[in-house]
Amino acid sequence: MSLKKKVVAGIAVTLSVMMGLAGCGGGNSATPKDDDSLMKVDVYDDLANYQGVQKGWFAKLVKDKFNLKLNYISPNVSGGGSTTFDTRSAAGNLGDIIITGAGNGRLNKLIRSKLVDDMTPYLNGMDSIKKYKNATDNLNKVAGQSSGVWGVPMSVSTKAPDQPSEGNEPVFGPYIRWDLYKKLGYPEIKNMDDFLDVLKQEQDLARKETGDNSIYAISLFKDWDGNMMNNIKQPICYYGYDEMGFVLAAVDGHDYQSVTQKDGMYDKTLAWFNKANQEGLVDPESSTQNFDTLTTKYKNGKVLFSFWSYLGPAQYNTTDHKKQGVGFMVAPLQNMKIVSYGATPNGTGSFIGLGSKARNKQRLVKFINWLYSNEGAYAMAGNVKGMNYDIKDGKPVLTDFGKKLQNDQSATVPKEFGGGSWSDGQPQLNFKSVNATDIDPTTGEDYSSTDWKSVIEEFNNSPLEQDWSGHMGGAKTTMEYLEKNNMLAVAPGAGYIQPDEDSQISTLRGSIKTEIVNDSWKAVFAKSDDEFQKIVDGMRTQTDGLGMKQVLDFDMKNAKDQDKARKAILKEYANREKNEGSSK
Amino acid sequence: MESQSDASTVSLTKSGPDRATGLKRKNGVARNHVKKDRGGGQSVRRQGFKLWMLIVPFIILSLIFSYLPLFGWVYAFFDYQPPIPLSESKFVGLQWFKMLVQNPAQLHTIAQVLINTFAMSGLGILTSIFPLFFAIGLNEIRTRWFKNLVQTLTTLPNFISWVLVYSVAFAMFSSTGMINQLLENLRLIAEPVKFLDSDSWTWIKMLLWSLWKGLGWGSIMYLASISGIDQELYEAAQVDGANRWQQILHVTVPQLMPTYMVLLMLSVSNFLNNGMDQYFVFQNAFNLKHIQVLDLYVYNIGMGNNSLSLATAISMLKSLVSVVLLISVNAISKRTRGESII
Repeated sequence: MSLKKKVVAGIAVTLSVMMGLAGCGGGNSATPKDDDSLMKVDVYDDLANYQGVQKGWFAKLVKDKFNLKLNYISPNVSGGGSTTFDTRSAAGNLGDIIITGAGNGRLNKLIRSKLVDDMTPYLNGMDSIKKYKNATDNLNKVAGQSSGVWGVPMSVSTKAPDQPSEGNEPVFGPYIRWDLYKKLGYPEIKNMDDFLDVLKQEQDLARKETGDNSIYAISLFKDWDGNMMNNIKQPICYYGYDEMGFVLAAVDGHDYQSVTQKDGMYDKTLAWFNKANQEGLVDPESSTQNFDTLTTKYKNGKVLFSFWSYLGPAQYNTTDHKKQGVGFMVAPLQNMKIVSYGATPNGTGSFIGLGSKARNKQRLVKFINWLYSNEGAYAMAGNVKGMNYDIKDGKPVLTDFGKKLQNDQSATVPKEFGGGSWSDGQPQLNFKSVNATDIDPTTGEDYSSTDWKSVIEEFNNSPLEQDWSGHMGGAKTTMEYLEKNNMLAVAPGAGYIQPDEDSQISTLRGSIKTEIVNDSWKAVFAKSDDEFQKIVDGMRTQTDGLGMKQVLDFDMKNAKDQDKARKAILKEYANREKNEGSSK
Repeated sequence: MESQSDASTVSLTKSGPDRATGLKRKNGVARNHVKKDRGGGQSVRRQGFKLWMLIVPFIILSLIFSYLPLFGWVYAFFDYQPPIPLSESKFVGLQWFKMLVQNPAQLHTIAQVLINTFAMSGLGILTSIFPLFFAIGLNEIRTRWFKNLVQTLTTLPNFISWVLVYSVAFAMFSSTGMINQLLENLRLIAEPVKFLDSDSWTWIKMLLWSLWKGLGWGSIMYLASISGIDQELYEAAQVDGANRWQQILHVTVPQLMPTYMVLLMLSVSNFLNNGMDQYFVFQNAFNLKHIQVLDLYVYNIGMGNNSLSLATAISMLKSLVSVVLLISVNAISKRTRGESII
């Protein structure tokens, strides 16, 4: 056999093997009729912090109603980044139900590559979805579609866009250990420098009282770092700024700053954290721990300052602690102007959609429809009628089990509702269909139990809250205090969605944000002011050199467009109200 | 020095081990051996064909796993953003290659990455003689059970994945780890020492970890070679009055040199290919500047920052450099020792 023939034979064999491998991809056969048997549903969920099958009371609820078993695929848990999305979408099946962001052209790409399906053929009788037609139409605009229902946006609301989407507690806020603050004699907090002093004194006091040197005023984590170091941004939100790419934009549109601007908000806050570290207030484990570890620390009282209401207060303010007058409350930081996200009539940038390869699509659309129904809205806020609440005289009240949850969220759920601990059985979708503080027309109160009158009367009257209220001008809740003192900057809920970004910009952004995040961490832990300055200056030179300007121009335009969208939604909503008013 | 991931170099190393045992000279011998078995005319051809069929599976495997993936290079010329398939992606020509060299800051980053890669690989090659010494030392231990014990203990770490190595490292060296706790309890330090999240001595730390992990495993090849050394050589040396040290120096070491050279050549061809798992698990905001080797850089760009096309472009350059390195070392070896693998 000549060499040529050998080569030809070799190639032939190789090709046949390759074709054999290629034959593995299957075609789509016609969809069989739904027999209502138990079906496992893969939920691709960019928001979930849980991977695997849903457990507990929510699993039972979904199984009883739809005979579905939810199986979450969560990029957050499986390493972060876009690897999971890329590989699954390249394989042609993202999931049966898809929860992801519509921004940056993603929904458009999903439609173009036929990964998400139009729900229109299945919408007969799906009133809860149809009710939010404005929102789904708005989503179509972003995705460049003229018709269809390609997804239902998250957190849709019937409230006005200039109303906070939060209930009694804002998301952001300088929450400190009020019991320690009381012992210090309520020192005045004029600005962030005073705030740092208070934290220092609190830490000294807490360590002296407990003899535990592992208590720190501030503890950080890196899980949510993106365009900048996430934790640094939080105090910036106390002053009415929020991020848009590399831009920090005042939510009322009066100022736009680059994240690397000298003496800008980010620069100053970074220096504040470094000062805190030089005074020994920052937990040295910050750079290696994750959100879970940090949550446990809050639960055990090892950290004294919480950026958010859902971290420190949620973990530490148990009924028992509150009875003893111990817990996290908002500090009277005099010059703050806290960012609050306004209610979003058209929803936010995330959406829930129907996977194109799913079986029994009608049943899945029924499930999505239910999420937007009254009962679904309650369930997404953690409330199931009969389990933890009941309606008494037309108003929602907690059951005995519901009251138990106020002290211990891991209390065991009654057998008939699925058993297991309540917190393990929460909807791991981490997707809010309807804004939780929207008003349920049947009760006149909202879906989230923390805002119910009955709950506030019974549980928000502990020694801790009474003491706090006494020093906050008699305000009953944080929101009341902030509104009264004009300390709230509500970002109108436009649900602005970023347009598709040129891939060159994304690439530049990738290397720049790595630089910003890494240098920020180094800067926080710098040993001296000189070292700090050197790191921050180095960050500016390096990011400028990498092409910061190009990306910044893009982000600046988005930030300004967002502001325009915010002003437009206010106008649109006002008109909507007027029209509805006149037609009545 | 593990060979992984990159298409073209994998193919070279794959054929490596077979050839490592028999250099070209020995191949010649083998061929002669076959010639003797031949009959004549037709049957010779048939025999040749049969023998050729024996290697066909391996040719197929290397085509599938080493050459077929080269098709992936085409991604470097498109603006590929999953889930849009390649067929609908925009052709952008050399855009990504231009992007690599478009500004000094970017070049600086790439230069730093290359320096890291060369430093880590260079340190690896400099210390590649350690397993040889270790094997000789091990061979000199006369107590059998002790020798076995040492060999087992030093070989085991090779089978521990880097992820587990890191969790051990974390338990021992993190700011609340064993070592820091111990030092604090002994009142030797007031603040925890940052072993993991600092940028001091990063290269040396990484070298020590990989030495700890690979020393025992790396010596196995030499132990095999030592047992293959003709005992007559030692007897002759003893007759000449050589002591044990002189026997090592004048018999064992020269006899191990061919094996060492082959392994050295292979590791040079893998120069840019120093794997990423070790550096991936140890990387953090503080040490990234000095730990980011080429493979890790490609991963961070492609997977971390979602720029698959740019990552492909970088990894292409890497393959080319690898081939150049291999050819040049091969040429040097041919000239100085008269041996080569190509």
